[in-house]
Amino acid sequence: MANLKEVRIRIASTSSTQQITKAMKLVSATKLRKAQGEIVQMRPYAKKINAILGSLGENVSSDVLTPYMEKRALNHITFVVVTSDRGLCGGFNANVVKLTVSIIKEKYQEHAKAGKIKFICFGKKGYDFFSKSSYNTGNNNVTLFQKFNAETAFEIGTDVINTFLAKSTDEVLVVYNQFKNAATQILTAENLLPVDVKSLQIHESKAEHKSKVKKDYIFEPGMDGILSTLIPMTLKTQLYKAILDSQAAEHGARMVAMDKATDNAGELLKSLRLQYNQARQAAITREISEIVGGAAALA
Amino acid sequence: MQLEIITPDKKLFEGEATGVSLPGSDGSFKILNHHAPMVASLKKGIVKVDTTEGSQEFAINGGIVECGDNNVVVLA
Repeated sequence: MANLKEVRIRIASTSSTQQITKAMKLVSATKLRKAQGEIVQMRPYAKKINAILGSLGENVSSDVLTPYMEKRALNHITFVVVTSDRGLCGGFNANVVKLTVSIIKEKYQEHAKAGKIKFICFGKKGYDFFSKSSYNTGNNNVTLFQKFNAETAFEIGTDVINTFLAKSTDEVLVVYNQFKNAATQILTAENLLPVDVKSLQIHESKAEHKSKVKKDYIFEPGMDGILSTLIPMTLKTQLYKAILDSQAAEHGARMVAMDKATDNAGELLKSLRLQYNQARQAAITREISEIVGGAAALA
Repeated sequence: MQLEIITPDKKLFEGEATGVSLPGSDGSFKILNHHAPMVASLKKGIVKVDTTEGSQEFAINGGIVECGDNNVVVLA
């Protein structure tokens, strides 16, 4: 039967698709482990920065004002949108884009109309969306993830901070997927600049407040000098962490998506095999009845 | 003293040291055992670590150093 052949072809193509999704799942699992390792590696650094900030906090008077904290009238907004370079990871990229758009619609409608929103896209998918949309995309780091490390993240962080200090932008927001575990991503939008002193501590573990004796620190070169080194460091680390998180979250999301795809392919295969066997059985039955009928006619 | 040199992607050094020379933003300086509590910012330069076995050098791109309780932490 023609039907039999069709089903056979579909079975073959479905099972090869299943093979691919299974392989992609395994690849993502490995990459996830690597990305998680990187997050773990960054942790002591973030922790130490928090600790120093904490011990500084005891000595900082709350009226210290650095250029990083300056709240200006919002003329220009910068969005740092962290997505992935590749698709096939469920709603991962779509969610980031959706959240960004909804924030713009909610708060910055007029800025968008006046073209005063700038996007810095990490990852190709976000760039693809925003470059095709009516928004203004400035210079972009499109396929950053191919050779991404702490240094490139810090360089971009420096750029972002400099544009803020040069008053070319008045607010910087980061939109990314926070990594919770392999199956869960938390969609997050954070204000990077201007710095809010209270939220300075990086959101990685809450800085351990040991009941240490208050140390009488020598500050070299003075409190302002320290803050002007420490704040950009914190910001860059925050950005770096967002990107690492997003990377891990991407692989997690892809792993889950591919796992589901594999399951679906399995189910499809099952029903196709049933269909195939039914068709085969029907063909055999008909052939037998034809033979029997032919024999009866001869007798 | 206990010394740690940490960057966002790895730990460059961790262990006992007898002294460490640092490129402070107002000029380079050296921290020896039992230094008073201090926080200092660093500029681009070379960090030289002296241990009982010899000395090691690391290039850093600016950062911050905290010391206290005979613990020195360099964040680069």
